[in-house]
Amino acid sequence: MFDPIDFLNYLINGALVGLLYALIAMGFIVIYRASKVFNFAQGELVVFGGFVVWWMVIQTGLPLVVALPLAMVMSALFGLAIERIFFSRLVGESGFAMVMVTIGLLILIRGLILVLFGPQVRPFPIIFPLKPVIIGDILIPRSLLIGAMITVVVGLGLSWFFNNTRAGLKMTAVAEDHQVALSMGISVKRSIAFAWALGAVLSTLGAIIYLSGKSLNFLASDIGLSALPVALLAGFESIAGVLLAGLIVGAVQGLVTAYVDPVIGGAVGSVFPFVIMLVILFIRPTGMFGWRTIERV
Amino acid sequence: MNDRVSKWIAGAAAAAVVALASPASAQTTYNIASIADFTGPYADIMKDLVGARRGAVDWWNEEVGKGLGIKVGIKDYDGRYDAAQTASLWPGIKAELNPVAILGVGGPDVAALQGRLPADKVPMFMSTAAYGFAWKPDPWIFSPRPTYGHEAAAFFEWFRGKRGIKGPLKVAIISSEASPAYVDIAKGAEKFAKDNPDKAEIVETVFTEVQPADLTTQIGRVIRKGAQVIDIQTNTAAVVATKRALQALGKTDIAIMMSSHNGLIASGKAIGGMKDLEGDYEVYGMAVPTDEKTKAHDFQQMVVAKYKAQVTWSVASVMGFNQALVALRAIEAAARKVGVDKVNGEAVRSALMAAQLTSDQTFGMLPNLTYTNDAPFPVTGLTANIATIKDGKYVIAAENVPVPVIAKW
Repeated sequence: MFDPIDFLNYLINGALVGLLYALIAMGFIVIYRASKVFNFAQGELVVFGGFVVWWMVIQTGLPLVVALPLAMVMSALFGLAIERIFFSRLVGESGFAMVMVTIGLLILIRGLILVLFGPQVRPFPIIFPLKPVIIGDILIPRSLLIGAMITVVVGLGLSWFFNNTRAGLKMTAVAEDHQVALSMGISVKRSIAFAWALGAVLSTLGAIIYLSGKSLNFLASDIGLSALPVALLAGFESIAGVLLAGLIVGAVQGLVTAYVDPVIGGAVGSVFPFVIMLVILFIRPTGMFGWRTIERV
Repeated sequence: MNDRVSKWIAGAAAAAVVALASPASAQTTYNIASIADFTGPYADIMKDLVGARRGAVDWWNEEVGKGLGIKVGIKDYDGRYDAAQTASLWPGIKAELNPVAILGVGGPDVAALQGRLPADKVPMFMSTAAYGFAWKPDPWIFSPRPTYGHEAAAFFEWFRGKRGIKGPLKVAIISSEASPAYVDIAKGAEKFAKDNPDKAEIVETVFTEVQPADLTTQIGRVIRKGAQVIDIQTNTAAVVATKRALQALGKTDIAIMMSSHNGLIASGKAIGGMKDLEGDYEVYGMAVPTDEKTKAHDFQQMVVAKYKAQVTWSVASVMGFNQALVALRAIEAAARKVGVDKVNGEAVRSALMAAQLTSDQTFGMLPNLTYTNDAPFPVTGLTANIATIKDGKYVIAAENVPVPVIAKW
């Protein structure tokens, strides 16, 4: 029997999980905007950020207020290192070459994590209180709620940055065309480096929200794949659009998981976002808010 | 004594030495291929698993093989928990070792070799529970434990009795479609409940990601449906997410049941302490590696002390011991049956099928095992052991719990 309270619970939870996907998807978008690279290793950046947080909090015993900013700095440095070692050499090269490098990066980071931290499942620190927010019969996981607020603030902030600041507009120019940006005196390398640092920081932020109080091993990288339909629905250039896309994908996934999965007896909820992704690719390959490129012949 | 006599005595002595030494030099060597995941997702537990296998082989060579005139060699190969890797290794293993048995780790090894071994006539011995999808006649891959569904059913029956539940035990299953094995595990428990509605009722099977973001909604739902036990035989991440959801909902009286690969120790480490798992359980058809004195624990301590085996007392080492002991006992039975110099993979398989392997022969690592041609695991007469966390301590809750019969699904 249909229960409106259940419906609201599923809808809200789904939307919050969708906003978590949106935060991870922002990492895809920031890197794509600056370098036209679809980063297949985004999920691995989440795992790397998670392990840095684990190492700082659990292993070294640093208090959260010190460990979390330090983890962000380390992630940014890791992003910069990736750009310096791999992508600074690929400016002007084909997008295909860069995408292939991100696939190599995925394998490399996974191996690096195994070498540095081992394959064991680690306890991730409890960053946000476990007790859910209860409003009447509605039950909202606190970590996802706080995470959603952070995601909205970060999304709107980044959107403003890219559309209203000089540095952001420069990055937008880089996203349009490397050669044109270079001819205008914009440092493409610097823009791409900043994008990678920002992408790595967003991944670490995502790891903190996603893994708070749970466990961590390299399987956590799967969230990168879950965030992909959100980025595609939004369009790979729209930061603000990813918030709406996250809400849509998450809410639909939550409702399908609640109402269809028990009937069919399978994880339709997990598959459904990818169905949405395929439909988008057929109907509107640029996504809801992606840039439509007009080519003059 | 003249020179001539001395030469005769020396010659006789030399002949005697050669004669005495001949059993050793005539010792026949057979090889076991030991597949492990030194670079895969379970690499962290492989030291114990491989250490146990080697410890068991060293013990057998010294205390059984010597008497038979057989020496078993063992060589490790890195399967990386990857079917493609195992499949690509196998022709080389066969050419290099000509093994009479293989020790495998998990699903990828089964997937890689199940089609080849009947033709190559080499049996593989696993240490995990069996799977419904591999429940086929004429097996060449053997599991010493029944399916995960069987083990779960054994727990359901025991738990129902312990709690004095009159009707069916209400069970929620947390599973994932990330692996066919996970789905099969759920199907086994569902089959038991379907065939025994008076004993168990599956209120819902929740399919999640392998690393769920949050399970509060799903757990809230199964609580409303009256779940008394949550069955999680997938991974530790699911256990941690479920426990966090139960804690968030203030429901600490609903027990979680785990298996060996995601058991109390592993999940305790993943959640940050054993106290969070107080009153939860793990169940499997092999010895439980608690600190308590058991026959199996004594064997582990003996191989460490006497044979310098590099192995701690853990779930992984019990798994390594169990599969190695089954393989070694099968080689032993084959040698007695066909002759020391005529042992091959086919003879090892036939010998395993022909005789019952007693629990004593595996030092209590396993219950009595009787294989038939119907399944890759003994379908009847098995038992399971159950462990729990009591007052923060990892202890045995029940031993030799009968495993119910479940029809094939």
